[in-house]
Amino acid sequence: MTVSPAIRQNFVSALLAMISAGMLLMPLASFAAGQKVERHFAVKGRPVVMIQNVANGRIEVKSWKNPEVVVSASQPSNKIGLDMEQVDNRIDVMASVLDSSAQESDLSENIQLTVPEETELQIKSQSGLIYVEQVLGDMTLESIAGDIHLKEVSGYIIVRTTGGTLVCTLCGGKLKFDSVSGSAQILQPSLTNVTLYTSFGNILFDGDFIRTGIYSMKSGRGLVEVRFASTDSFDLNAQTTSGTVDNRVEAFLKPDSHGIRRSAAKYAKGFVGTIGNGLAKVELSSFSGTIRILRRD
Amino acid sequence: MQCKDIAQVIEQEGFSPLPEAARGHVLGCSACSSLIADFERILAVASEIPAEVEPPSRVWVSLRAQLEAEKIITDPAMVIPTEGSPWWQGFGQVIRGRMLATAAVAALIVAAGYVQMTHKPSASTASNTAVADAVPRAVAEPFADAGTSLDQEEQSLGPIQTASMSSVSPVDNSLRENLATLNTFIKECRKRLQEDPNDQVARDYLSAAYQQKAEILAAMMDRGRSVN
Repeated sequence: MTVSPAIRQNFVSALLAMISAGMLLMPLASFAAGQKVERHFAVKGRPVVMIQNVANGRIEVKSWKNPEVVVSASQPSNKIGLDMEQVDNRIDVMASVLDSSAQESDLSENIQLTVPEETELQIKSQSGLIYVEQVLGDMTLESIAGDIHLKEVSGYIIVRTTGGTLVCTLCGGKLKFDSVSGSAQILQPSLTNVTLYTSFGNILFDGDFIRTGIYSMKSGRGLVEVRFASTDSFDLNAQTTSGTVDNRVEAFLKPDSHGIRRSAAKYAKGFVGTIGNGLAKVELSSFSGTIRILRRD
Repeated sequence: MQCKDIAQVIEQEGFSPLPEAARGHVLGCSACSSLIADFERILAVASEIPAEVEPPSRVWVSLRAQLEAEKIITDPAMVIPTEGSPWWQGFGQVIRGRMLATAAVAALIVAAGYVQMTHKPSASTASNTAVADAVPRAVAEPFADAGTSLDQEEQSLGPIQTASMSSVSPVDNSLRENLATLNTFIKECRKRLQEDPNDQVARDYLSAAYQQKAEILAAMMDRGRSVN
């Protein structure tokens, strides 16, 4: 069977066109698979940024001097949808699952945020690290299984996790932490009001108690450890139902010096006393874990 | 009559039966006859779909218990769906009921906690001990209603979660594991309170555990909904 030259020429032309189209589309396909998005939002004063990431992945927030919020996101697949909108000084970022049958590995979305130093944050994530650095402003950070690391942040900080751990380094303002099995490490803080509660995680507070500050740390089954400075001044109330108390500051602990007769609860083990002049108030509690208190220096 | 007229006739009058003029066109037009055949197949398949999907009976039991707990109803018969009500309305009620129940349980725990914190046993109470001892003692377990509601929530939520997820994610595992551990912790606190009903520390931890349980159940429900 012979093919006429005209037909052959048409066939070759069509084939070449298809190959060219394929080569042109190749970069597009790879872009879709490893998509990167970046949006810039001009703001005035103190913006409010809300991120809701129903996918998994890391969320990183850093600050700069510019009055602009920059959102960068990367995702390995197109199974995640990313919506962003700005209404005046409020910026919403929402990552949602587009395909519920997608594999777990395809359901991740890493978000990087650059914000003005004074910014309010509301971040809700499923898993993956939430990292916030050098941001001044109130923030609510929630995660189910992801850890939350804060460095040099200040404001009214609310952190809620189910299993994620909080590490708060050089934080200021007020801190409220609530978790089921996540631990909390508060390092070198300048916090005036601290409420830490975890059912099964551990708590470590390593830093100064600021005068007039109020500090409450409770763990159901975990270890509550407090390391304070010799210059600190606070009233202390530590009690546990069926756990143990490891008091390594017996020598520095005085009876309550304020004339209010207080004692540990009738059905709990523990101790009450004052360090220094008792300017701050510290309450430590554990249901069946250990309470340890020691001086750092 | 042309093809576009056929589409208009179908839209306005349906195709069973087709008007005489339209039928003449369809007989001689392969595109329109194919269109009519497609519609007939869709109708045939649609007629095989059940008009209503009956939710499992546990849904109604749970819903009724929740509504009663919230004092929204007093007559259990009110929540039984009527014959004609579509299944999705019932499902909507279930979801609303759960959210209300979760909120109500949280509020109940907070209120009970507040009462417990502010309540101080008075001297007259102590002097009446002899009278109280004469009466058969029935020490009410703290947050018992909240605990029962949450247990019902958990029971009704579990199978839905399993059915809705295409694969088990680390987040769902974390929620389930934490829920299981919380349940064990709740048992420990309750046991302690049975031994010492006045143990305020145990009471506080029990209250907090119930609140966390309510939040975990709400998170599980949210995840089920977002995936679907």
